[in-house]
Amino acid sequence: MKIAVGQGSCGIAAGAQKVSDALKKCLEKSGISVGVTGCIGMCWLEPIVDIYDNDNTLHRLVRVSEKDSERIAEAVKTNDFSQVEKLEITDEDNSFLEKQTRIALRNCGIIDPDDINAYVDAGGYSALSKVLNNMSAEDVIEEIKISGLAGRGGAGFPTWFKWNAARQSQGQEKYLICNADEGDPGAFMDRAVIESDPHTLIEGMLIGAFAIGASHAVVYVRAEYPLAIIRLQNAIEQAKKAGFIGENILGSNFSCDFRIKAGAGAFVCGEETALIESLEGNRGMPRLKPPFPAQAGYWHKPSNINNVETFANVAWIISNGGNAFAAMGTPDSKGTKVFALTGKIKRGGLVEIPMGKTLRDVIFDIGGGIRDNKEFKAVQMGGPSGGCIPAHLLDTVIDYKELGKTGAIMGSGGMVVMDESTCMVQMAKFFLDFTAKESCGKCVHCRIGTKRMQEILTRITEGNGKDGDIELLEELCSGIKDGALCGLGQTAPNPVLTTIKYFRNEYEAHINNKKCPAKECRDLLSYEIDSEKCKGCTLCARKCPANAITGQVKSAHIINPSVCIKCGQCAAACKFGAISVK
Amino acid sequence: MSCCNCNDTKIDLSLLDAVLDEYAGIPGSLITILQKAQDIYGYLPTSVIYKVADATSCTPAKVMGVATFYTQFRFKPVGKYLIMLCKGTACHVNGSDTIAKTISEELGITDGETTEDGLFSLSFVACLGCCSLSPVMMINDETYGSLTPAKVKEILDDIRHREVQSI
Amino acid sequence: MNQIKITINGKVCQCDEGEYILKVAQDNGIEIPNLCNHESVAAYGACGLCTIEIIDDGNGRALPKLMRACATKAMNGYVVSYDTERTNRARKIALELLMSDHDGDCIGPCRLNCPAQTDCQKYLKQIASGDYHGAVETIKDKLPLPASIGRVCPHPCEQNCRRQYVEESLSIAQLKAYAADMDLKSDTFRAIGKPDTGKKVSIIGGGPAGLTAAYFLRLKGHSVTIYDMMPKMGGMLRYGIPAYRLPKDVLDREISEIELHGVEFINNCRIGVDITLDEIKNISDAVIAAPGAWKSMSMRVKGEELNGVIGGIDFLRPISGAETTPDLSGKKVAVCGGGNTAMDACRTAVRCGADKVYVIYRRTRNEMPAEDIEISEAIEEGVEFKFLTNPDEIIGVDGAVSQIKLQVMELGEADASGRRSPVAVEGKFEFLDVDMVIMAIGQTIEPSGFESIEKTKKGTISAEEGTFLTSIEKVFSIGDATNNGASIAIAAIGDANKCADVVDSYLSGEIKPYTAPYVSERRLSDIDFTSKEMSARIKMPVRNAEIRKKDFYEVNLGFEDDRQVRTEAARCLECGCHDYEDCKLIKYANMQEIKPLRFDGVKNTNPIEQKLIAIERNPSKCILCGLCVRICEDVAKKGILGLVGRGFTTVIKPEFNNDDIVSVCKNCKKCFEACPTGALKLI
Repeated sequence: MKIAVGQGSCGIAAGAQKVSDALKKCLEKSGISVGVTGCIGMCWLEPIVDIYDNDNTLHRLVRVSEKDSERIAEAVKTNDFSQVEKLEITDEDNSFLEKQTRIALRNCGIIDPDDINAYVDAGGYSALSKVLNNMSAEDVIEEIKISGLAGRGGAGFPTWFKWNAARQSQGQEKYLICNADEGDPGAFMDRAVIESDPHTLIEGMLIGAFAIGASHAVVYVRAEYPLAIIRLQNAIEQAKKAGFIGENILGSNFSCDFRIKAGAGAFVCGEETALIESLEGNRGMPRLKPPFPAQAGYWHKPSNINNVETFANVAWIISNGGNAFAAMGTPDSKGTKVFALTGKIKRGGLVEIPMGKTLRDVIFDIGGGIRDNKEFKAVQMGGPSGGCIPAHLLDTVIDYKELGKTGAIMGSGGMVVMDESTCMVQMAKFFLDFTAKESCGKCVHCRIGTKRMQEILTRITEGNGKDGDIELLEELCSGIKDGALCGLGQTAPNPVLTTIKYFRNEYEAHINNKKCPAKECRDLLSYEIDSEKCKGCTLCARKCPANAITGQVKSAHIINPSVCIKCGQCAAACKFGAISVK
Repeated sequence: MSCCNCNDTKIDLSLLDAVLDEYAGIPGSLITILQKAQDIYGYLPTSVIYKVADATSCTPAKVMGVATFYTQFRFKPVGKYLIMLCKGTACHVNGSDTIAKTISEELGITDGETTEDGLFSLSFVACLGCCSLSPVMMINDETYGSLTPAKVKEILDDIRHREVQSI
Repeated sequence: MNQIKITINGKVCQCDEGEYILKVAQDNGIEIPNLCNHESVAAYGACGLCTIEIIDDGNGRALPKLMRACATKAMNGYVVSYDTERTNRARKIALELLMSDHDGDCIGPCRLNCPAQTDCQKYLKQIASGDYHGAVETIKDKLPLPASIGRVCPHPCEQNCRRQYVEESLSIAQLKAYAADMDLKSDTFRAIGKPDTGKKVSIIGGGPAGLTAAYFLRLKGHSVTIYDMMPKMGGMLRYGIPAYRLPKDVLDREISEIELHGVEFINNCRIGVDITLDEIKNISDAVIAAPGAWKSMSMRVKGEELNGVIGGIDFLRPISGAETTPDLSGKKVAVCGGGNTAMDACRTAVRCGADKVYVIYRRTRNEMPAEDIEISEAIEEGVEFKFLTNPDEIIGVDGAVSQIKLQVMELGEADASGRRSPVAVEGKFEFLDVDMVIMAIGQTIEPSGFESIEKTKKGTISAEEGTFLTSIEKVFSIGDATNNGASIAIAAIGDANKCADVVDSYLSGEIKPYTAPYVSERRLSDIDFTSKEMSARIKMPVRNAEIRKKDFYEVNLGFEDDRQVRTEAARCLECGCHDYEDCKLIKYANMQEIKPLRFDGVKNTNPIEQKLIAIERNPSKCILCGLCVRICEDVAKKGILGLVGRGFTTVIKPEFNNDDIVSVCKNCKKCFEACPTGALKLI
């Protein structure tokens, strides 16, 4: 009998800690301990309790609350799970996992992230051992080259190429850096990996450090991930004790130290040169390239920077061979990709699938489609640097090249699903609010350009859009793409460009007709009472905070549009569906 | 940035000594030192910035430049309860604007402000990574997900109630 | 280092391998625009102006991305261009964005609104320091008749002076006249002309336009002749404006200065009578027609042919020019019109002894185009204003004027110019007994002699905007005779100095049309005037009305003393930027046609501060190129300045601990020297 409660950040937010505490209390005297796992990625089912019964059959109990704990404890003690049958995951929900292929996430939600032995038992550190005992640095790079692994942070640059450049760069002292500054709003793949399987990252990084000849490894984690930092710190300590980190690792000539550097809140630090500036204790403002980090990076020493998911694949590739990895995917993109599926989706969470599946596969087959029986409208990929892909392109294959053709990007894996009630102009504005706030302020195109784009989008959503605003945005976008200094600025126009490309009519409706088709832009709404349906119950008039509704009891009411503040409370309160919004 | 208005006279700078002893000699530790200093004081008082500058051989202008670049650093004391409202994409799509409005209405403060009684501060933050529970907020170390205006009011009322009872 | 060759905009440049392309360009005399680069510090890449396209990387491939010349190393065989469509678009957007966030006035509203663009702020400062000679040098850079124009100009500069939002605008015109008078008294400023070019320019008309064009073209080395129909030069300044406003000896002195530079004057020479336009053309390399507008416009009312009806300029010409005073004693005079000519006519009529002088104007005083001081002084001198009346008929007895019938008017809706249009009150009339009617409702060109030149619908000479070229080859036209017709003297002077540049370029083989430079302007609503200390405008003393109305001596008595003059000049708010002439930002902004207003939005403004020892910092003009910060840190080794905040609201600040001067600043001024804009200023 083995019990574990999934305790990633979002599981905890959903109450996993309380469930775990309650279970422990109930099982105190039975001698059965309650373990911890990380995040399995089925976030809509949290909190999740995994129980392996005496026959080693898994009972996955979902949406568990504290009050279920006694019944669960009882089931555990008696090995009779019929009493908790209602909590067991349904086959339909379980298909979410079954349809995935997990490499980077292979241990997530399965092993205890705080216990190195659990990782070793799952085959952990054998790849490192293989590398140190049987492989040269060139062999490692060659294996990665065969695998076709490309940078999972978004740009999709071949990993072997970067490693090779850093390896060949002159200099005794080199650095291997992991970019765990997962800043895309709507992405949490890296957090899940670090919280759920930190040793996978450490092992991948150590192999990378060996390959490029680095003796220092640094993980730059964003400050908003306190639990990830704690678990990673703990894992580093354990790995040191076990001899995986430090001098002469596993008796080899390879030595590498390892540390964490916590970010302090700046999206731009996901850009590699800004990240280096931040690591050096400076303002996170991008440097000019060249020189590239492989030539002069951290402390102007040769440095290699990869993202968490990239490293999470490395040990698997070494153990299973580059060919096994390359066997998955498309000619352009190999292996698997992890996505954080969120938004108006039925089953949101972490999805890892082989490249080459379609967006429809992920959103409808795995994610179960749109919540509340609404229409799918678009999916946003790649966060503030990416774009919105509309319904008619749902059969686009997941592949760096194919996604690039849509105007969006693969990105780091954020996949935010939107339905008919999402206004695409608002969406573009949301991202520009974000980039304008996160712009470091160094280059003119980004500093002032994103602000101006944000201002134009704001006026459009407020009903003050002018004829020619769409063209003005397009011109500004092309200037910024060409002129901005770093990736943040160069890609900042993408959400605007893709929404204009696919939803131009929505922009035009805002500008020309002063209407928001998705009915999201408050300033463009008008509320009306259908006098046929209105029973004169006076509820709306009483709810209205602006006293905009008048009418006699038992006779139809009317809304004074000049007083109405468009808060929507009346429509929400009306029991007869008499109030419509236009 | 109103660093000059803070009443720095009550700041016990000796609390910083251990941090400086540990990190001041290590190059590139400025952000780490500022993070630890903020853990100690709750914010970064001007006198602390000067002491850090002195210990790290950075100019005060440089320390201030770094501190004001990152959203994590504050230059004013925060309330007893720091509400961090997630403004990530998923939270946006699922209505974080309405949640922001509710909090502002309930507490009379907006992003970066603190209530007059010093109980609550509100801070909009980039994605907290709990997207599937969106909209999400964190109050001190506790995360609250799947928020609705009613739920937010309840949470805030609970805290206020607790505070009144503890007096 | 390997010596390599790269091509920049078609020019082959030899350089060291790995040298930055911006540096290679500079070394080869090619200016790639840049704002954040400086030889003393490392490349930074912020401004985005030095964008280049690498059309060929030496291996026949073009690089897909735009590069920054400041940070791209030269490789053998590179073919580089910095003015492709893409680089220009990126650069143009950068400049438009920068200007959209720039809260500064390149030049003050005084200079901006002066048709001749006289640098008022600069000469006011010189006057305030007692440097009248220098002030005149500044003025004569644009306007060769300061003593005269200072007296008669309706001064758009003063109308736009921002000091009026504190209390009252500066007395700019009178200060100019004072400085010029002082300069004429001793050691008169004389510009040094260029060597003779051998080119010959003929100018028709010796009024303010013709004299100004002659002056500037002569200084450029051309030989210049002015033909004028009147016995003396000066045009309207001499024959239109009465001596009580502009004493003729002052005008004579200033005109003789122009003559001293070697301009040839031919008077009493009328085009079409004494010489034809063709004849002049044939003996010249270029001709400027500036004949003025000497014909009074008709009021189109019955009775204009009667004896005693006369045009305003026809009335003034013999009196102002020759100072022969007709005796109007016992006569009643009606002057029709509301402009400055009407005021000159009515006040002249008073001085000629008329019993009663009326001004007939169809709107009210508020709408009168004449200067208010002229109206007040006319009233003081006994002129009676008949507002809201319009001549309907001039009634005569025995062929001479005896009465004027006036239609009573009222104000209706505002017209396109914002003035309320007068509307006749049906059936309501007034009658005045008069002996003389002076029509001063405007003047137009006398076309005889200029028949061969194409005219506008108004009957004026048609000249192309920007080049001043007429329909006839090598004939240019400026002043009252051109396009929109009669305006104020300074407008004609403005035309003339622009035209002089155009003609000069024409004579050197390639005509360069005039285009108004783009300048940054602050929004009035963004400016805080409340913090300024009040200091009243010094009132100009005038002669007593009862005495002055009997003679033609100058009405204004002038400033009392030097101290008064300097105090008045020191009231200047110095709105214009000290760095306008050297500012790289505005220089580049003018290299492309930019329209920053389309990106109008919030500006990142911050208060001016004086924390460094001798440098004033204006963050609202800062473009965040970071040069001051980097130079303070890397060159001066002080690191006093730092970037604070991030994104759009980033601001550069010195140490923030105290409000006093930053004591560790060593006053090396290196930050000031490197600043590409006017954000830093020496104090």
